[in-house]
Amino acid sequence: MLELKGIYKWHNTGNNRVFILKDIDLSVKAGEFISIMGPSGSGKSTLLNVIGMLDTFNEGEYHFLNESVHKLKDKQKTALYKQYIGFVFQAYHLIDELTVYENIETPLIYQDVKTSERKALVADMLDRFQIVGKKDLFPAQLSGGQQQLVGVARALIAKPKLLLADEPTGNLNSKQGEEIMELFRQLNEEGVTIIQVTHSEKNASYGSRIIHLLDGMIQ
Amino acid sequence: MFKNYLKVAFRYLANHKGYTFINTLGLSVGIASCILIMLFVKSEWSFDRFHPKSARLYRAWVQEHTAGQVFTNTVTPIPLGPVLQAGLPEVESSCRLSGGNTAVKYNNHLFSDPVAIVDSTFFDLFNFPLREGDSKNPFPSASSMIISERMAKKYFGNETPIGKNLEVDLNDSMVLFSVSGVARNPPLESSIQFDMLIPFSNAHYIWSEKTRTRAWSNVAVETYFLLKKGVKADKVNATIPSIMDPLVAASYKPGEYIITLQPMTDIHLNNHLPAGQQPISDPKYSYILATVGLFILLIACINFITLSIGRSTTRAMEVGVRKVLGAERKQLIGQFWGEALLLTLVALIIGTGIAAVLAKPFGLLANRQLSFSPDLFTILFCFILAAIIALLAGIYPAIVLSGFKPIQALKNRMQSGHGMGFFRKALVTGQFAVSIIMIIAAFSVGSQLNYLRTKDLGYNREHVVIVPTNKSRKEGNKFAALFKATLQKNPEISGSSTSLYTMAEAGWMNMGYSDDKNVFRQFVFNAVDPDFVTTMGLQVVAGRNFSKDNTADSGYILVNEALVKEYGWTNPVGQRLPGRYEEQVIGVVKDFNFESLHTGIKPVVMALRPDSFFRRSSDISYDIPPEPRVSIHFSGGSPQQHIEFLRSAWKSVSGNEEFEFQFLDNALEKAYQQEQRLGMVVRYGSFLAIFIACMGLFGLVTLIVVRRTKEIGIRKVLGANVSSIVSLLSKQFVILVLVASLLAFPVAWWGMNKWLQDFAYRISIGWWVFAIAAIITLIIALLTVSFQAIKAAVANPVESLRTE
Repeated sequence: MLELKGIYKWHNTGNNRVFILKDIDLSVKAGEFISIMGPSGSGKSTLLNVIGMLDTFNEGEYHFLNESVHKLKDKQKTALYKQYIGFVFQAYHLIDELTVYENIETPLIYQDVKTSERKALVADMLDRFQIVGKKDLFPAQLSGGQQQLVGVARALIAKPKLLLADEPTGNLNSKQGEEIMELFRQLNEEGVTIIQVTHSEKNASYGSRIIHLLDGMIQ
Repeated sequence: MFKNYLKVAFRYLANHKGYTFINTLGLSVGIASCILIMLFVKSEWSFDRFHPKSARLYRAWVQEHTAGQVFTNTVTPIPLGPVLQAGLPEVESSCRLSGGNTAVKYNNHLFSDPVAIVDSTFFDLFNFPLREGDSKNPFPSASSMIISERMAKKYFGNETPIGKNLEVDLNDSMVLFSVSGVARNPPLESSIQFDMLIPFSNAHYIWSEKTRTRAWSNVAVETYFLLKKGVKADKVNATIPSIMDPLVAASYKPGEYIITLQPMTDIHLNNHLPAGQQPISDPKYSYILATVGLFILLIACINFITLSIGRSTTRAMEVGVRKVLGAERKQLIGQFWGEALLLTLVALIIGTGIAAVLAKPFGLLANRQLSFSPDLFTILFCFILAAIIALLAGIYPAIVLSGFKPIQALKNRMQSGHGMGFFRKALVTGQFAVSIIMIIAAFSVGSQLNYLRTKDLGYNREHVVIVPTNKSRKEGNKFAALFKATLQKNPEISGSSTSLYTMAEAGWMNMGYSDDKNVFRQFVFNAVDPDFVTTMGLQVVAGRNFSKDNTADSGYILVNEALVKEYGWTNPVGQRLPGRYEEQVIGVVKDFNFESLHTGIKPVVMALRPDSFFRRSSDISYDIPPEPRVSIHFSGGSPQQHIEFLRSAWKSVSGNEEFEFQFLDNALEKAYQQEQRLGMVVRYGSFLAIFIACMGLFGLVTLIVVRRTKEIGIRKVLGANVSSIVSLLSKQFVILVLVASLLAFPVAWWGMNKWLQDFAYRISIGWWVFAIAAIITLIIALLTVSFQAIKAAVANPVESLRTE
């Protein structure tokens, strides 16, 4: 599904070059569930953002499906991730001014999906996550676990091929965390490729493969 | 998608009430100011455009070059109209017009009302509809008269006016007229105002045969021309000399006597030409008004921008999320711009409401009858204004916000240092600068007005009542003598005097003559009685006043110091004006401001009897007709009782004539009405400007404090006390106010000095005005800032540090 070859990312501070990612080679096949682990500052999130095309890299090649991402312009990258990638964040990042329903609906709006179709898709999603009763609530009215549930629902609404999750359970208690991980497992079984960043061995064990990162390098 | 934006915008505005309130209120007030000023400017520009033929209507003006001087006048010689109409094939029709207040008698009641003499083409050239009467033949006979609706009401109440007889004083003879028509009141936006119109065939009562037919140096009437369709005025102006030059050849060389046609629609706002029968507008006041309105709007817009940027950190996350969810930049720009537009539209609705309510009071301030009517132009103006505001105020935040990189936005790395960015500092400085300019203007105008009110004019201005006789010279003098005699018994009256002009008249009679060296000289003339000097408290600095008992004094004159200076006399007493006059100077009075303080003091001649001056002066002009007027000076007591006493004294002498009076100090104030209105506008404007700016500042400080909460917590843990925290937060604003002051001072100094040039007598703006303006701004700013700063400084640091 995607392949990273010799990816380098660095910052220049004064005369020093600080490497954030160093010679990353990684290939991910469709249907995999990968967990990226490593200590703070090891470059996990950066790697995830590079995969998600939200962040750039200085050197190397990145092939996503049949596209060479390193050769694409910003607009084309946006079009690409908009279509194929869903994001889940540690801090949920729901839009405060939108209801549960509207938060889930937003990606469809940006993909110019028709109103009637949007309604059907969002209704399905609400149903599936059993949050129909909460559809008119605002994020502030939900618990952390519920918010993350909405976050996942929103990430899935556009039927992405790849789900990227940056410490999705980091802000949750262990029970809520388990629920989210169970959900991920289920999604993965349904065919969604998942890459998650996590600190927790337990969460990592839900995945099919674990990548250890240290100082920007894959161990 | 649009619905989604709208929803977000609404909820955002509803959730951030403070932000919404500050912006909506500021923009509403700004929009209201702009609408009001638009109404005023619209009124200014619509003058005389209500005549369907306005594009073809012109007024003649005359320029004479004599003895090295240039005289420009929009009042023209009487024969000009017929002569040009006969000589110029391009002229379709012409109309002369002259008027002024005169005595009108009805049912043995005497009134003073404006009567104008016009050619019968009046209703053909101009669009003044008749409610009654025939506009094709408005004056069936020489004794016909057309009156306005308000006059019909004043004189006849509910009775039918047609056929009623009125007597009008035309140059000392009472002439009988019969009402033949009633005209609708002329609109306010008309350079021609009238109340009673009589046909030009009565001109022989007013002017001599010479003046009526060939006196090309005497100006008396406004002359209007209707040009034929398709005729260019330039072409007509070019051919006028060929007609005029031969006629004036006896006194003027070619090029010394120039007649030019001015478009009628140009009259009201062209202050390069003197006013005709009606006052014109000084466009300067439109500009000042517009500037005040735009300043307020500008400050409100700056609030919008600075607050939007201030809250951008809190919105960064939303931008990041939306981008991750697939939003393109232009979609985000659309969203944020849409929010600005929504807010502006709300402000537009409120602002329109404010403007509608304030249109009347503002009209009083602007001396106009303004009403807010939703015509196409007004609606269009409102929407274009809203669009421009939304564009200006909204596009910058939209571009800044939409430009955030999603990853940085999500990681909340948007904080650009601790203070404000340069752009925002510049904007806030601009707000302060505008506020300071307006405060300086308010103070300067205020102290100039105060100076005008309190300056020693060289005569008594308090406790003086002026009573006009509204009679011709002969009758009025007789009457005034009787009236004065009845005043003797009131001990509170310290003096009374009869004169042709009093200090209440803004202009006296101008006389001109060529002296023995053939130099053209001008002076201002008044005929007074011996009591004038004592009643008004004028100071005789040389010679003596006229004496009551010495009839020979009628051969003498009193002059002022300015005249002595003009002629360079070292021993003025006993001198004669070199040239035609025989009267000798009997005394010199200290200079006094008989005209408004806009102008300096001109040479004055005062005589007991005016006749020989009327005869001997070659050039006599006046705006206000010379009629005996009585000045009464009271030593104290209640004004109400004084008026009651004067009224009963008047009744005992006149019987049924109307009693008119004015207090001198009130009459003098009238000369400064425009300045007083300006003072009010600037005062209100500066108050609004400061208020809106402070609301914005308050919002801004709130945002800054929120952003620096953690820093403040750390500093407190490290031992900072409350005052050091407050000064930490306030310091940058103090610097901004200081920078703003440096920017504002020269601009305000320049602007105010330019305005003060209008006055011959003016204050010099003291440094304290600048200091006070800066200090006021600083104090208000610091109060605003410290409210939030203190709140942040006394907060428990544990709370603020836990937020991470």
